[in-house]
Amino acid sequence: MADVEETIKRIQSQKGVVGVIVMDSEGRPVRSTLDQETTTQHAALLQQLSDKAKNVIRELDPSNDLTFLRLRSKKHEIMIAPDKDYLLVVIQNPTT
Amino acid sequence: MATADERKLELERKKQRLAEIREEKKKREDEKRRKLLEHKPGAAGEPSTMPTQEEVERILQDVGISPQAEPLEAGNSLGADGTPVKARDRTASPAARSLFTGSARVQHLSKAETTQVNFAPRDNVSYSKTTQTDVETAGREFVQGSLELWEDDMETAMGGDGGLVGDEVFNFDESPTHQLAGLLPHITPFKPAEVASSDQQKGEDRKKQLPDLSEEEKAQIIGTRDFQTFFDRASRVIERALTEQVDIFVDYSRDGTDKDRMDTGLKLSLSRTFFDEKWSTGRCVTGLDFCVQHPELIATAYNNNESAPNEPDGVVLIWNSKFKKTTPEYIFHSQSRITSVAFAKFHPNLVMGGSYSGQICMWDNRLNKKTPVNKSPLSTTAHTHPIYSLTVVGTQNAHNLISVSTDGRLCSWSIDNLNQPQEAIDLTWKGSKQVASTCLSFPLNDVNNFVVGGEEGTVYTGCRHGSKAGVVEAYDGHYAPISGVDCHQAVGPVDFSQLFLTSSFDWTVKLWSTKEAKPLCSFENHNDYVLDVAWSPAHPALFACVDGQGKLDVWNMNEDAESPAASLVVEGSPALNKVMWMANGILYSVCKVVLKEYPLS
Repeated sequence: MADVEETIKRIQSQKGVVGVIVMDSEGRPVRSTLDQETTTQHAALLQQLSDKAKNVIRELDPSNDLTFLRLRSKKHEIMIAPDKDYLLVVIQNPTT
Repeated sequence: MATADERKLELERKKQRLAEIREEKKKREDEKRRKLLEHKPGAAGEPSTMPTQEEVERILQDVGISPQAEPLEAGNSLGADGTPVKARDRTASPAARSLFTGSARVQHLSKAETTQVNFAPRDNVSYSKTTQTDVETAGREFVQGSLELWEDDMETAMGGDGGLVGDEVFNFDESPTHQLAGLLPHITPFKPAEVASSDQQKGEDRKKQLPDLSEEEKAQIIGTRDFQTFFDRASRVIERALTEQVDIFVDYSRDGTDKDRMDTGLKLSLSRTFFDEKWSTGRCVTGLDFCVQHPELIATAYNNNESAPNEPDGVVLIWNSKFKKTTPEYIFHSQSRITSVAFAKFHPNLVMGGSYSGQICMWDNRLNKKTPVNKSPLSTTAHTHPIYSLTVVGTQNAHNLISVSTDGRLCSWSIDNLNQPQEAIDLTWKGSKQVASTCLSFPLNDVNNFVVGGEEGTVYTGCRHGSKAGVVEAYDGHYAPISGVDCHQAVGPVDFSQLFLTSSFDWTVKLWSTKEAKPLCSFENHNDYVLDVAWSPAHPALFACVDGQGKLDVWNMNEDAESPAASLVVEGSPALNKVMWMANGILYSVCKVVLKEYPLS
């Protein structure tokens, strides 16, 4: 429990990190460093995206699985580490 | 004359035909008018009903007969009374004029035409086209759309139905707003807001399906073992990804100046410092090793932190030199201070540590556990003094962990069984003198012979097996305790396995051969205790040594035996007490609390 908090704090303190969200496989946030509204929005959308990406990978090769997803945009980079039951999402600003 | 008659006949026939064609044309045009009339009542904007063609004709007739027709009709077609229509006729196109003069019906038609000019049927077409698409795309297409189109779009959006039914089409046509459309300025619709709200609605729908987790549920999830495992793995990956500084978008064609590549002219430079706020502070590094299978993993052992008595005494951190991540990969601790550390060479997951109490601890990075997974018991058959040196020798199938303690006992262990040592040798010189050894080294690929450095300044060689197992030879030359010993490590055509180096508190480093009683060479370039020495695994003439003033020297005996080839004083002059080479020629040295990495050019 304390470990989780500590790790989140450590990730959050990394240069350029905007926010950290931990959610379950349904997209419900478990732990977040962002405000409620942003968290809910991000969680719901990123969970869907991750799900879709997972499906794509599975469709291409049924024995394969998605392990990591990086989204590079003009403003941010969103990193999603999916697992069977949970997702860890970090939003960072790579230019700063 | 017959020809003349024939010609006449033919002329008449042609005339007849012409008349036919004309009539046909008229009919066709009539048809066209009628069709237009069918549209007209819709475009005319009658309040509620959709008049049939007959009705329209009747109305038009009414209009034709009595100028005092319905006021709305008058409003629609400006040519409600006779004169304006005529006036317009004069200005109208010749085609329209001919139509007007065609038949009795044409009179009505000309009136219809006036309305037609106002409301081009094309409007209708474009309208139905867009409403057949779904709401979102329609919205995007109609960013510049007129008001009434937008309103209708809204209606469909509210209805939630993508397509439009006939009623709605006519609703649009009959809506009085479309008359104002031309007069009103274009209003930019706030479509994005609408889209967002519909998205929000979707989100809310989801929420309704799955209520948010309560605080207790969250806490419960965080507490589960599954979550811990997931989080441990995911956070590690994320941290690596985060600290990776590689700019994948670098464009060399645009930015030609790469300032990082400037050559400083230094042969030796500090490239990196590994330090953990919590676990490294106030602790002295006692051991250093790297993993054979994953050379980027470096294990460091730490002494106790006197200012933090509640923390575990012994700490082993596994660092990753490949990633720029500033935190250790794994953190292990034990009750007793760790005085030496070694990776279990053929088991990439196991880390062995020798403790101050004389116990051997084993950690496994596969388990999410910080305390040792296995520990040797404290017994007189094993070590009872601090283990200052630990190494794994042998091959994949037959290897042993060799440990040596300051009471002069050398034990060999099986990695799988730490209950008792496989073999224990008490190192003594000339039958009685206990060899208090602080350091141990095996020649490359040798499992039998070894070199140990003693606390009184003498170096001993010995062997593990055979009739005279134990110390074989002693070499005098140092005047103070030996701090480090290293056998020649580079592989090459010439056998240098008899060579070894020692560092001592007497400020010197000496080169020995097992065949000579006296040192071959003494390197005296330090003004403090020399705390460790290491042969380069790549270059046979290269070695590095570190001293208590933060000086790191690299010697190349092929070039110069009098002065080092490269030298570096670490900022702040911390005592460097361990030095280690990587297979790729990167040098690691350890000072009191920090592990530093030096690339060597």
